[in-house]
Amino acid sequence: MSLLAPLATVQPWWIATIEAFVIIMVLLLGFAFVTLIERKLLGRFQRRFGPNRAGPYSILQPFADFIKLIRKAPFQPDEVIHPILYLGAPVLSGTMAFLAFSVIPWGGGWELFGYQIDGQVANVSISLIVVFAIGSISTYGVLLGGWASESKYAMLGAMRSGAQLVSYEVSLALSVLGVVLMARSLSLVDIVAAQGRTIWYIVPQIVGFGCFAIAGVAEVGRAPFDLPEAEQELVAGYHVEYSGMRWGLFQIAEYVHMITISALMVTLFFGGWLFPFGHRLGPLWFALKLAIVLFCFIWARASLPRLRYDQLMNLGWKVLLPIATVNALATAFFVVLK
Amino acid sequence: MSVGNIIVWIVWIAAAAACIGSALAVVALRNALYSALALIGNLISLAVFYLLLSAEFVAAAQVLIYAGAVMVMFLFVIAYVGWDKDIAWTGGPRWQTLGSVVAAAALLCELVVVIVLGAANDLKRTDHVSANFGSASSVGRVFMSNHLLAFEVISIVLLVAAIGGVILGAQKQRRRSGGLR
Repeated sequence: MSLLAPLATVQPWWIATIEAFVIIMVLLLGFAFVTLIERKLLGRFQRRFGPNRAGPYSILQPFADFIKLIRKAPFQPDEVIHPILYLGAPVLSGTMAFLAFSVIPWGGGWELFGYQIDGQVANVSISLIVVFAIGSISTYGVLLGGWASESKYAMLGAMRSGAQLVSYEVSLALSVLGVVLMARSLSLVDIVAAQGRTIWYIVPQIVGFGCFAIAGVAEVGRAPFDLPEAEQELVAGYHVEYSGMRWGLFQIAEYVHMITISALMVTLFFGGWLFPFGHRLGPLWFALKLAIVLFCFIWARASLPRLRYDQLMNLGWKVLLPIATVNALATAFFVVLK
Repeated sequence: MSVGNIIVWIVWIAAAAACIGSALAVVALRNALYSALALIGNLISLAVFYLLLSAEFVAAAQVLIYAGAVMVMFLFVIAYVGWDKDIAWTGGPRWQTLGSVVAAAALLCELVVVIVLGAANDLKRTDHVSANFGSASSVGRVFMSNHLLAFEVISIVLLVAAIGGVILGAQKQRRRSGGLR
């Protein structure tokens, strides 16, 4: 039994399985409607309507998009290097995006009919590192997708996106070090609990939050860091040779990754599922905070110009990394002093 | 045998098979990129072993640092240097092959001796393994007490490597800007 201790959760395994299933469904629905809300909001930011044809408030638009993608012919280049790698790259990206959400706490836990139900699928003591480890594996989806397509543009785009992900991963990991030092734990459950005892870490860790926000946007590859979208340079980056639902899987991975990074931001800096009242309604507060952060993602996309590739690298290595390092050192100093 | 033990055995056998299979693939495959992918699989299956040994922090660090960051660098180098030039490897110098076989045999002997003679009784005992074993705090405590010298030496080596990288990059840049002028 002791061998399984790191894998064990408090709740029975079948409840965890049901939770995982529900979370994947919620994330898929969330992905579908985030695309709709994003297009609607972008329309509003640019003084136009946005999608307004499919159903009331265009609520059926995601389903129309989905049916269109499914029915599209799955084009594939003749000279694709290895079919398994070519098809495996979007699958890897999608799987890793969903996997990371399993350790993020979205509630305080309840007791129902004598069964313990946790506020997260898996409660591991190093959940923050698990999220980063899964994120680092998902880089391979981008690299392999570009490489297996046997195309110059896809290859160049994959190299750029890969370099971007690797560079900003460093700043991302260093920027949360201050939170870890203050909470004295790598467990996201403990970090939320520590914020309940003191204050939300956005207040003492405002510098770390700034680094995390910028590096997080770069890590999911969204505007102003969305180099694959720079069509005048690289057509479409690593996924140029993908079409239909294979391309759709890359899109799902990007949006779910965005939701996961936003959830991580809420957990680390905004008290997770905590709220001054209504502790049993944890998931509601969590979803509310998540929606606000996601809105800011879309807001940034609508208002900021895209960075050039060299500006992107300079910002990551010469600005964010030193700031995040100094922030971690200063936090360590104050934590030891106290 | 309890259900938990059976699961542990199944996971152990699967991880062991994946570990040996991917290690063979690293040396057997001709394409350098496939070898690198097999090495990633090998590192991840090693992480599963760490997890089975309750060393959860080491397992996560293994995936994050080795399978994630280090292997991405390998893939970058392979992709830039020429992944499509399918040159068959003709073999290195004779002494290299001999040396690698001798080194591998020595490591194998050492492992067998240590496990069979030294640790056979120790491995069965679990009473000296504390409940905190493998957690981030206990790993950090060991780094800062018993293995402080090794820890500091490694940090200096990494610092030297980082400075070396900066110097190499700066030289190339200076040459390029000099050429422009």
